[in-house]
Amino acid sequence: MTELVVSNVKKSLGGLPILQGATFEAEKGRILALLGASGSGKTTLLRCIAGLEQPEEGRIEISGKSVLDASMGLAVAPEQRQIGLVFQSYALWPHRNVAENVGYGLKLRKVPTDEISRRVAAILEKLGLSHLAARYPDQLSGGQQQRVAICRALVYEPKVLLLDEPLSNLDAKLREEARFWIRKLIIELGTCAIMVTHDQGEALAMADHVLLLKDGVIVQQGTPIDIYSQPESFYSAEFLGNNNVTKGRVHGAGGGGVRIEGEGWSLDGEWRGRRALASGESGRAVIRVERVALASGPGPHRIEMDHDASLYLGDRWEHRMRRGDLRIRAFGPNRLPGGPVWCEIEPSAVWVFEEAA
Amino acid sequence: MAADATAAAHLAAVTTRPGNAGAFRIAVITALAIAVMTPVGLIVYQSFLDGPFFDESAKASLWAFKYVLVDADFWRALRTTALFAFGLVAVAVPLGAGLAFLLTRTDIPGKAILEPLVLVPMFLSSIVLAFGYTVAVGPSGLVSIWFRETLGGVPWNIYSLWGMIVIGGLSHVPNVYLYVASAMRSLPSDLEEAARSSGASMWRVLLDVTLPMVLPALIFAAALNLLLGFETFGIPLVLGDPNGIVVLTTYIYKVSTVFGTPTYHVMAVVAVMLVLITLPLVFFQRRLLRHSRRFAAVGGKGARASLLKLGRTGKIVAVSLVGAWLFVSVVLPIGGIVLRAFVDAWGEGVNLADHLTLDHFRKVLSEASLYRGIVNTVLLAVIGGAIAVGIYLLVALAGHRNTGRSGTVLDYMVLMPRALPGIVIGLAFFWVFLFVPFLTPLRPTLASLLIAYIVVGLSYGLRILQATLLQVSPELEESARVTGASIGRTWRDIVIPIIRPGLAGAWALIMIVFIREYATGVYLMGAGTEVIGSLMVSLLTSGAMDQIAALSFISVVLTAVGLGLALRLGARIHD
Repeated sequence: MTELVVSNVKKSLGGLPILQGATFEAEKGRILALLGASGSGKTTLLRCIAGLEQPEEGRIEISGKSVLDASMGLAVAPEQRQIGLVFQSYALWPHRNVAENVGYGLKLRKVPTDEISRRVAAILEKLGLSHLAARYPDQLSGGQQQRVAICRALVYEPKVLLLDEPLSNLDAKLREEARFWIRKLIIELGTCAIMVTHDQGEALAMADHVLLLKDGVIVQQGTPIDIYSQPESFYSAEFLGNNNVTKGRVHGAGGGGVRIEGEGWSLDGEWRGRRALASGESGRAVIRVERVALASGPGPHRIEMDHDASLYLGDRWEHRMRRGDLRIRAFGPNRLPGGPVWCEIEPSAVWVFEEAA
Repeated sequence: MAADATAAAHLAAVTTRPGNAGAFRIAVITALAIAVMTPVGLIVYQSFLDGPFFDESAKASLWAFKYVLVDADFWRALRTTALFAFGLVAVAVPLGAGLAFLLTRTDIPGKAILEPLVLVPMFLSSIVLAFGYTVAVGPSGLVSIWFRETLGGVPWNIYSLWGMIVIGGLSHVPNVYLYVASAMRSLPSDLEEAARSSGASMWRVLLDVTLPMVLPALIFAAALNLLLGFETFGIPLVLGDPNGIVVLTTYIYKVSTVFGTPTYHVMAVVAVMLVLITLPLVFFQRRLLRHSRRFAAVGGKGARASLLKLGRTGKIVAVSLVGAWLFVSVVLPIGGIVLRAFVDAWGEGVNLADHLTLDHFRKVLSEASLYRGIVNTVLLAVIGGAIAVGIYLLVALAGHRNTGRSGTVLDYMVLMPRALPGIVIGLAFFWVFLFVPFLTPLRPTLASLLIAYIVVGLSYGLRILQATLLQVSPELEESARVTGASIGRTWRDIVIPIIRPGLAGAWALIMIVFIREYATGVYLMGAGTEVIGSLMVSLLTSGAMDQIAALSFISVVLTAVGLGLALRLGARIHD
């Protein structure tokens, strides 16, 4: 069921466009990630949904009710939008203990006192915080503060839960764990959740649907698998994953395939550009590092390379190779034995795009 | 159906525009504008009449301007004022900057004790300080007599322009120190260390790196003290007046005695002239402050690793210099007051121990008006100070995260009173309470003084409160809004509880401001509404030195109590 509709939201700051017409929908019980580099407008978009920023144009509907319609001068105040927001810094009120922080939203909604304490106790129990109810925020660890912030945003059952970089202040181990339990919790409660992140791993692991933003424009949206394996533009292809990027001349090859060539090398690939290929134009190819296999002899789709250097990464090795102006990185389980090395790259792994988007 | 729903939501939104407590903000800013602009407007209006504004026969005229502009006394006063103000800056800025350097960038011993001590002159009213100097180093002062006995002569005369400049300069050193010290503290030491490691000596670094970095703070402090110099009333009144040295503020005060009758239009013209000088200074300062903030933003919070090592001799010299300054600007005036308050005779060959007495205090307590003055001062400081902080809080909230036009209006309104010397604000409010029909019942009550005091303390009080409000991170407010609290509810449940300690500190600081205030009440106080500072001004004319000494002593004690309270409540004097 659609819980949030955002349509053509535009916002600029001091003449600089921050959002240039964002349109998307989000559903109950699913997590939507707004993914982008810093300055892509993802946090601004989240704050527009919350009502903390005022877009100049666009419409936003939460649970069937219009909360923003710039053409009608309608802008519902944040407190009347029925949303929960988890801040990057958690923003727990330092003068209220955990139970008071969590119960504040219920108190504002005039819920009877005994019911407040029952519901606060229930959600703290659920997130394993019962023993901390009387503590103040400064007596909590980062991970505990984050849980309290999530309890506070969920306890009054908002229609839409907004999470602004919810994991960025946790250390690496806690972050892995939090990806899992936050996703489980949201699906269990059937809330519509929107999450802002700059970490692709987080977006891919936690979300059901990912929106990739660049300079205030949604450049691609889809399931995590689509976003990762079917990039629609050079930017999407290059933003996600760990990549080899190379430039060269592009020619049509038989059977819909293309061939990209540089000094002393050529690779078979797929044309992913927006427009039809003009044979002989210059283009760029993106190859995910994990799609490059190493071999010790020639074969189909294999290219002989010079070995440059290898880096030990703990769980594997990263090998760097070169041929002419082509540079390729590949992962392997072992140190390279020395002598000639071949890279095997399937044509489906070589995504070729036009020179400039 | 959908159209109906959106239309209804539209209606709801008109009253709850996000991020805006529009009605509250506009109401507060309007009230503030009335409180600030009424007295200013009245003075300007009065300056263009040929008689008192309440006189039916008064007509629009430039007579008063013509009178003042051809009056040689006015020009002499203007010249003296300018000399005094610039002289004060020339004394205070180098001393304050040097003191700030010694206390923040060197390893001078005893910092913990010296830091609060150097600020003391700032908290005393200049009339008390000036009186203290009269008693200590005036022609028949205690120190002067000792000098004459031992050396056969006194090489100084504080009843001169030079005396005024030196004493005014010394007493304004803390105002310079405060700004320069905070600039030096926030100076990241890696900048200096970078210069040192590229081969510059410590003194080279001081000249090439430290000085240019704190230059904005120095210029700001100079502009601020120039403004304070133009507005000073107490020091010229006590030290200049006996020898006929008149500045603009004392000219206003004395002009009625020249004519024998109240000459409101002449007073108004001089006040307008003074404001024409001070207003540009205030706006100049506002621009400087914006610049210096930008400057400060460059520096990080670099832990200060290297303090200049003074060495043994250096330490002795530095401590002696600071000690000499403290002796002259704190020990001399306060010591003079304390001694003078408890002895009934002094002079050559008099043993002070034989003349110890509590008579001066008995005199003060037995005279109803003086006794009332003490009670009123305490009431105004303690209760009035709390009310003032409440009002400043409302004003600060009206400007809090207010990026609209009303926020800009508020900014200018708050700065306005800084261009008005206390004596002018007092005069203007006196007229307001005298002749605005529904306000006349307030005149014989302390409310009239409190309102004037609140306007006088406005920009200082607001600076404290705005700094306190800025400590609340915006996310704490936004999270309350999103959770379902209106903006008013957010202020009540989140913002005010968080800044409560800051409010207590602000109350103590405002208390000190109200205790030391003397110029505002000069015209405004009447029988029943006496305050210590203004009583001292009027006692000066009658020459009742015993009572002035006792009142000064009480004022110093009250200030010390307020300061102790402020430090206890954790008020941040270094803003």
